[in-house]
Amino acid sequence: MFQQRLTIRARFEHLQKVRQVVEQAAAAAGLTPRDSYGCQLAVSEALENIIRHGYGGETDLPIEIDVLAKAGTLTIEVEDRAPPFNPAASPPECELDAENPPVGGLGLMIIHRAMDEVEYQRREDANWLCMRKRAAEDQANT
Amino acid sequence: MEIVSKEYKRVVALTVKGRIDSANAAQFEEQISQLTQAGKNNLVLDLSAVQFISSAGLRVLVTARKAVKSAGGDIRLASPSEQVVETLKIAGLDVLFEQFPDRESAIASF
Repeated sequence: MFQQRLTIRARFEHLQKVRQVVEQAAAAAGLTPRDSYGCQLAVSEALENIIRHGYGGETDLPIEIDVLAKAGTLTIEVEDRAPPFNPAASPPECELDAENPPVGGLGLMIIHRAMDEVEYQRREDANWLCMRKRAAEDQANT
Repeated sequence: MEIVSKEYKRVVALTVKGRIDSANAAQFEEQISQLTQAGKNNLVLDLSAVQFISSAGLRVLVTARKAVKSAGGDIRLASPSEQVVETLKIAGLDVLFEQFPDRESAIASF
């Protein structure tokens, strides 16, 4: 089991630190390198969205990240104090026009495609996002 | 992130190393737009040493592709790393960029 809580300021320079923790946790959960990368990508997209859109740019306001790995499952919770925004509500799949792809909304689509579960709750003045990934063999049993 | 640019007869090859996310996507975009504004529209991006790319980096690629295509050029990828390929696939944008196993073949394709 692996559990770590990180509190970062909403600055892009901290993204890599969070991705490294997620990489360690993914290894502890027994995820493949490919799924581990997907989780690092998803957490990065979630944080980049919060900083850019939620907080309107880099700021010293906090973002809390809880990373929990149990055998076969990686769970990442992200909490911020930005205005309400529900990333879980966005459609996970949309038709892409390859010749004219959207330049916005890619981050949300990546989160939904890379993770198995995406859950959102507004908790008082905070946005709480929970993303979960299961190891492939575990997923076959659910 | 580190970007090295090398100019050939008909092509400019950019070698990008490191991680591309919102922390440095603007720098990446600036490097490419300097080239396109100078009329360099045949671009090879050697992404073999890119360990991470988020949608912020993809946006730069997609925007740059539109610009060079409208000027009759193209962006082609040389030996993109597994991470680059994975991000492109997850986003469904892998079909947009022709990929070559090495930079020589990517350069020769123009």
